Amino acid sequence: MSRPASRIAAVLAALALAGCSGGGAGGGGGSARSGGAPPLVIHAVDAGTFQEDFNPYHLEGVNFGTSGMIHETLMYFNKLKPGEITPWLALDHKWSNEGRSVTFTLRPGVKWSDGQPFTADDVAFTFQMLKKHPQLNRNALEIEGAEALAPDKVRLDFGATSYAKLFNIAGSSPIVPKHVWEKEKDPSTFTNPKPVGTGPYTLSKFSAQLYELVKNPSYWQPGKPEVPVLRFPAYTANALQTALRQGEVDWAGAFVPDIQKIYVQGKPEQNKFYFPPEGVVTLLPNLTNPVLAKPEVRAAMSLAIDRDKIVRVAERGYTKVAHPTGVPMPGGEAYVPPEYRDAAYKVDVEKAKELLKDVDPAQLKFTLLVPSPFTDWVNAAQLIREDLAKIGITVETRGVAFQDWVSKVGKGDYDLSIRATASGPTPYFQMRSMLFGGLAKPVGEAATGNYERWKDAETDRLIDAYAATEDETEQQKATQGLSKIMMEKAPTLPLFYSPSWAQYRTDKYVGWPSEQDPYAMPSPYTSPDAAVVLLRLKPAGS
Amino acid sequence: MRFLARRLGFYLLTAWAAITLNFLIPRLMPGDPVELLVARMKGNVDPAAIDAMRRAFGISDASPWRQYLDYLGNLAHGELGRSITFFPTEVSTVIADSLPWTVGLVGVATLISYLIGTSLGVIMAWKRGTWLDGVLPGATFMHAVPYFWVALALVFVFGVTLQWFPVSRAYGLDVMPGLTGEFARSVLYHATLPAITIVLASMADRILGMRNVMVTTLGEDYVVMAEAKGLTSRRVMWAYAARNAILPNITSFALSLGFVVGGSVLTEIVFSYPGIGSMLLKGVENEDFPLMQGIFLVISLAVLVANFLADLAYVVLDPRTRQETE
Repeated sequence: MSRPASRIAAVLAALALAGCSGGGAGGGGGSARSGGAPPLVIHAVDAGTFQEDFNPYHLEGVNFGTSGMIHETLMYFNKLKPGEITPWLALDHKWSNEGRSVTFTLRPGVKWSDGQPFTADDVAFTFQMLKKHPQLNRNALEIEGAEALAPDKVRLDFGATSYAKLFNIAGSSPIVPKHVWEKEKDPSTFTNPKPVGTGPYTLSKFSAQLYELVKNPSYWQPGKPEVPVLRFPAYTANALQTALRQGEVDWAGAFVPDIQKIYVQGKPEQNKFYFPPEGVVTLLPNLTNPVLAKPEVRAAMSLAIDRDKIVRVAERGYTKVAHPTGVPMPGGEAYVPPEYRDAAYKVDVEKAKELLKDVDPAQLKFTLLVPSPFTDWVNAAQLIREDLAKIGITVETRGVAFQDWVSKVGKGDYDLSIRATASGPTPYFQMRSMLFGGLAKPVGEAATGNYERWKDAETDRLIDAYAATEDETEQQKATQGLSKIMMEKAPTLPLFYSPSWAQYRTDKYVGWPSEQDPYAMPSPYTSPDAAVVLLRLKPAGS
Repeated sequence: MRFLARRLGFYLLTAWAAITLNFLIPRLMPGDPVELLVARMKGNVDPAAIDAMRRAFGISDASPWRQYLDYLGNLAHGELGRSITFFPTEVSTVIADSLPWTVGLVGVATLISYLIGTSLGVIMAWKRGTWLDGVLPGATFMHAVPYFWVALALVFVFGVTLQWFPVSRAYGLDVMPGLTGEFARSVLYHATLPAITIVLASMADRILGMRNVMVTTLGEDYVVMAEAKGLTSRRVMWAYAARNAILPNITSFALSLGFVVGGSVLTEIVFSYPGIGSMLLKGVENEDFPLMQGIFLVISLAVLVANFLADLAYVVLDPRTRQETE
């Protein structure tokens, strides 16, 4: 997601929209109607034009829908209900060789959209390709080999214990057809313009401004999908605000500056939105700074910050205050020790001052680095500055260009910063990326996680323990240990959850994910979740 | 001829300087494209795969000098590399896809604004002291107003409030590109508002420039002479005064033709127009070195070529430049 662009553009759009009212004729609705059910208009990612790229292993140029709707994965992992795993192209999996090998039994009767049967050869081919072309291996799997044992059985071998990578292997590696892809000399630059997949949709039309997917009639889930046509028009961030206002888009994943006015327009039953947590935004203390390395300083800061106000004012109430462990709630209960499950932040200025009484006040001066295009974080930084001033900590907030911020935080060249953490199918992924000592690089070298540079033997032991077992209870126990460290040692200070943006209209189709039924991530830009959502949709009024 | 040869040498030197700056400037930005990608795609890509991605994007750790030589070598072969933002699309393809939109929109708009602006300037100078002078404060105002402000105002009035014109993209969503009347109509309809923006915002320059030079020229002896001979005022105005007054305007026109290729970045962004300005913005946001280099190269070459053409036009139009060699 191109966040800075969307923010700037949203401001432009808000300017353009300020003061105007009333609906408008939905222009982009479309003429292509097949059968009785109308097409669904989807906006996944801001784009002025599309490139003809349907290679599911490309990172950004690839068009949304390629993984999930066209190319499917072996299993589906629901990030909103950690531990909920649905068999997809594979019916089950078995680990062997101490987690270095996994054998999948494949679903019978699945066909590629060109009529060829889907077999273990296709799965083996896909993983062999990732091994041979490391550029495509975006999940960083240590693949040693992949072998089809029978038409419905495939074994994958890895160079290291890979229990913790099941999601990356089975949940985020779309399977491609051997009979099409083996003809390509270089799959890393192959754009797959005529994709052949096992998924519920096939590509029917492509132009630089619009592509269309239609129902795959031979899809393996009988009677599905019920949405016959998907249309993906190219909208830039500011064009999308107008489109949402005029009702041209049925399903979008976008930041909308004033959602009640621009999108809901007084019809909360039809124009719905759902922003579940996807990772957590934390206040990063640079632990190589000797003052910030003192746990009492971090604890005092945490006590002084009024997170409710930050969420209400800076985040427009679009998200929620994080659980003090950073684990997304509800959903992550099993990953938090029982004694902390009901923990919540409470501002206590007196206690914070008490904690700081042995620290030289002259040392309590920090710079808070934020990317200036993220206006919400800039506002949050101002509120943090005011809160910390109350306990005698002087904070100077400094907004810098997005690129500059990425580089400085990566290299550890900051005192305090705000950053979102990568999320995964269970809270472990988030904990590992926040706390794993192996990711902490010396100052001056770009890190890819653990930007605060937390080093703790117990933390690393727990992370290794999770990765060394496939037993869910053991894994939960290890993550609980990590949660405890978050609570008691505050290596980084959770603020609020990063929202996953999703706006959907119920006038054409119903059955969307909601807080009551979080069966998949609701944003159209999350793969393969978006395909899971489409398979649940039913025409409105049926 | 020696004049032309000297100009040509000068242009070659400038081209080399521009190419070198194109290489240097993107690299002065902090951070690197893969780090940005990981920061943007939070969670969807394993940071451990960063090295693999660097390789895929062709980002090398070679010394800057080595990279510079490789860059020059590739340029000599006409290779611009693959874009990172639109990987694996070649930069040349990205440019080839977006350039026609920009040249079409900004080029035509610039031409219109030049023709209308210059003629208005001539007429206003001729009829100075009449009610036409009332246009001047308006022109000065438009001269001071930035492009995007005009664009936002037009979007607000004609796009959002009145809904007369579409406010984004280059053609209708349901129109398939092709040589059809429907496509052509859709393109024209969508180009109207952005074109008006550019014409309105850039015309003032032309009016003011042309009028000022024209007023001076009208005081020249040969104009008085022409009037004294009893030539029609139409002939005096166009063939005697305007023809001489237009020289500085030719230069500015040639320069603006060069900048046509650079597009009106802000206008394109406001209207989500798929031109080269939008692509440049994408490239800068993503630190897409190959794309930025490619676009800068095309822009700088276009400016140089336009300048060269202006020089040629001068040689034809103004005999004094030809005498310089003797």
